[in-house]
Amino acid sequence: MDRDLLRQSVSYHGPSLFSLLKCEQSENPDFKQVVADLSKSVNQSDKDDDSPVVEQFIARKADLLFAPSWKSTTLVEEEWQEDLREPYAIMPPLEQFMEVSYEERRELFYRDVERGDLVIGRITSIRDFGFFVNLLCTAGDFERDIEDLEITGLCPVRDVPSTGNHDDPLSYYQIGDLIRAGVKDIDRYHEKLTISLYSSSLAPNLDRIKLGVISKEDLPLHYIRGEKVGSGNSDAYERLLDSSPGFSNPANVDVLLRKLGINDTRSPSLMRGLQSKHFIEDDFATAIRKKQSASWALKCVKAGVDHFKSGRHVDAMNEYNKALEIDTNNVEALVARGALYATKGSLMKAIDDFELALESCPTHRNAKKYLCQTLVERGGQLEEEEKLVTAEGLYKRAIALDDTFQEADEALQKLQMRIQKTLKLKAEEASREKEKQQTAETSAEKLRKILKEEKRIKKKRRRSDSSSVTSSSSESSSESSSPSSSRKKSKKRKHKRRRSSHGSKKRKRRISSQDNRTPEEEEEYPLPANTSASFMDQKQALAKLLAEEAEAEDGGKSHGKSRGRCDDDPFGHSPQAQSSKPRGQHDGPGVNGHKHRHKSDDSRSSRKESSHDFSRSRKDSSSSAYSEHSRKSDRPPRDESTQARGQGSSEVSRYDRRVSRGSDGSERRLSSGDGSRASEGDHKKDLPASLQDIFNQIAEFEKERKKK
Amino acid sequence: MQAPRSAAVAETGQLGGRGNAAAVGDSSNDTKTHFRVCRFIIETGVKLGMRSVPVATACALYHKFFQTASLEVYEPYLVAMSCIYLAGKVEEQHLRTRDIINVCHRYFHPGRDPLQLDSKFWELRDSVVQCELLILRQLNFQVSFEHPHKYLLHYLLSVRCLLNRHAWSRTPIAETAWALLKDSYHGPVCVQHRPQHLALTALYLALHTYGVQVPRGEREWWQVLCEDVTRTQIEDIMTELLQLYDMEAKCT
Repeated sequence: MDRDLLRQSVSYHGPSLFSLLKCEQSENPDFKQVVADLSKSVNQSDKDDDSPVVEQFIARKADLLFAPSWKSTTLVEEEWQEDLREPYAIMPPLEQFMEVSYEERRELFYRDVERGDLVIGRITSIRDFGFFVNLLCTAGDFERDIEDLEITGLCPVRDVPSTGNHDDPLSYYQIGDLIRAGVKDIDRYHEKLTISLYSSSLAPNLDRIKLGVISKEDLPLHYIRGEKVGSGNSDAYERLLDSSPGFSNPANVDVLLRKLGINDTRSPSLMRGLQSKHFIEDDFATAIRKKQSASWALKCVKAGVDHFKSGRHVDAMNEYNKALEIDTNNVEALVARGALYATKGSLMKAIDDFELALESCPTHRNAKKYLCQTLVERGGQLEEEEKLVTAEGLYKRAIALDDTFQEADEALQKLQMRIQKTLKLKAEEASREKEKQQTAETSAEKLRKILKEEKRIKKKRRRSDSSSVTSSSSESSSESSSPSSSRKKSKKRKHKRRRSSHGSKKRKRRISSQDNRTPEEEEEYPLPANTSASFMDQKQALAKLLAEEAEAEDGGKSHGKSRGRCDDDPFGHSPQAQSSKPRGQHDGPGVNGHKHRHKSDDSRSSRKESSHDFSRSRKDSSSSAYSEHSRKSDRPPRDESTQARGQGSSEVSRYDRRVSRGSDGSERRLSSGDGSRASEGDHKKDLPASLQDIFNQIAEFEKERKKK
Repeated sequence: MQAPRSAAVAETGQLGGRGNAAAVGDSSNDTKTHFRVCRFIIETGVKLGMRSVPVATACALYHKFFQTASLEVYEPYLVAMSCIYLAGKVEEQHLRTRDIINVCHRYFHPGRDPLQLDSKFWELRDSVVQCELLILRQLNFQVSFEHPHKYLLHYLLSVRCLLNRHAWSRTPIAETAWALLKDSYHGPVCVQHRPQHLALTALYLALHTYGVQVPRGEREWWQVLCEDVTRTQIEDIMTELLQLYDMEAKCT
């Protein structure tokens, strides 16, 4: 119980109320708490006359009247604005009608005015520290009759916003101007008021209002009306009220209820029987209506089901639609209609209905069952239309709903297998396409490599002094593309090692160490660096080049691919690359071009030869770790070479085979190389005549050596 | 005139036995009956989500009707239902007969299922509609009232300015006055006095209850608000109002 209120009431009514309260509220525990306090303040009564009836009433209803929950008005802190449309009658302050005395009004004003209130006044004098305003009226919600009270407010200079002219802000104002300002400070004892023209001085719900000079039209309505009211007319208020347009507004009750914060539909009552706790939710109109609609709809559904069973589908549909009109989203009606749709064949509509039904009632057995069946059926339809993914989705949904539904499971499995098959087929197609693409890629890459090689060769030409320049240039020009960069690089580096500084050794070692890591290392045939042998390698490399060209045109897939990758990659793992490295060691300066032309066939073909070379030039082998290792790895690769060759043959074109056959024997190779060269007419056209001379010379040289 | 009356009575006899107590012509009984029926109207209004003014109109229609009609002839609950229906139309808060029938049926048969769309329902609906016509004729088609509600709200606004804003915010004057006004419709007081007087009385009683001191001038605030009222009149109305609260104890 609100003690302050009680105290106020009791002190107003006197001890008689107190005794009545004690009598009526004796059982109220809340009252017992405050009774001690109250007894102190009960001495006199402030009111003039006795009103036992009222006191009786108060005493009886005290538990309601003074309960904290009784205070149910919600004060809405809205933006206050002058309601020019006048939704309700705006009346002048009551003080004016009541003709409250001067002193009392003044006293009340200073008691009740607060910081942030709006006031309107007229400038009476302007000083250098500010200007004085004689208040005319108040604005906002605080309405008082103060015009004749001669209340003055001071607006100091600092509270006058500048007009932006850099002049004295006060010069903007003149005596007699109407000013709207906010109350900034109040000295209640001395009855002094300080006002300000800044919006910050206003209360939050008023701060949109423009302060400063206003015109007569901006004066508040209640003031204007008040001026018109003559004194002495006792019914002035009534007449004014009845004549106000706002009073005739039919909606003024709602507006005012909102303004005062009273809730209309569940407003409290002082009658015992009408307390809100006595009202049950189920008794309210909306709740009953829902239940009733559901039961009416159910009747229609039953009738519809009867029609359906007798085969009268049209009648059944009508009944279902009627039911859904009475009660939209009625679960039974939706399920029944869905079943009817499914029977007629409109599966999508059926699915929609079932889904809607399940939304409102997720545990409806029939809805689930029918939905599963319909989904599976629809899935079957979609499968026939080749929309496999959608069908899969539907089956999954059916299983998610009811995992004991076997048909759905079976259908899903069948479908998934079908999908897998199609996926496989698609994958194969895709890979085939990719292969085709790869060759296209490798051609582009080969071209790039040619260009790079040309640049490199030009550089080396400056350094080198042998005829290998021409051969390399010819090789590079004859190349279509050769992916095995590792081979190229290893050759290049070996060349550098021989010709240039010690630093290249490191590079080779690096490469070799990386190569050592690869599993295919064992296939390497590291050939010792030997200038003499390098020429032989050159031959082999050339043959390889030719073979590679042939293969490239045929579109050797994987090898070509790997070679392509190895282009700029010193970590090339291809067996060809590695096996080509030993040869690279042998190569003289001229065989830079070989590096990018490694095919499995070529490498294999050259492997045999390289093994020969290797045995020949063992002593001459470089001290690089790579070569040592490659020595070790030489033996096993020999065994594997045949295997590799076998593999290679399966992938290789007829040109390659011819080349590999041709390169089987070293001498044979030369001749066959020539032969192959002859047979590969197209490929040979890139080789200049000088190269052929060189080959002839080499062949002769070899013969001589072998004879030795 | 005879036929609709008897038909209406016969059909609504099914509604429940409470109305049959009206057979006794005792005025105090009548008052009690009226009190109960008005309580029924107000409760139904809450359940239907009606605003205060339409409920007031319904009660006013009821009271006015039975000022000239006899309880022996007309079934009061049916009249009440029709008054609610008519008031909804007059005060622009239209209600469906279905909702009215549902709520009333439940009032008399608590816990039962809602009515099915059968003959009983349609009969009830027909009787409500026919009774509505009956009421209109009985009241000479004068069915619009000037209610005290808007007067009360304007008075509240004016008096609010007189008081200190903090005193206003901590004292539940508005709620009490509004509750008092709404409760006054249990009895015929609502149709026996001018709306301004009723509003004034409600406000007066509210201020009086909490012991709020209103400033005094040459004239009292209530004199200003309504010129032709005297303090005695106010007190008389107050007494009648407060008697209603006593009656509640007797009737329910």
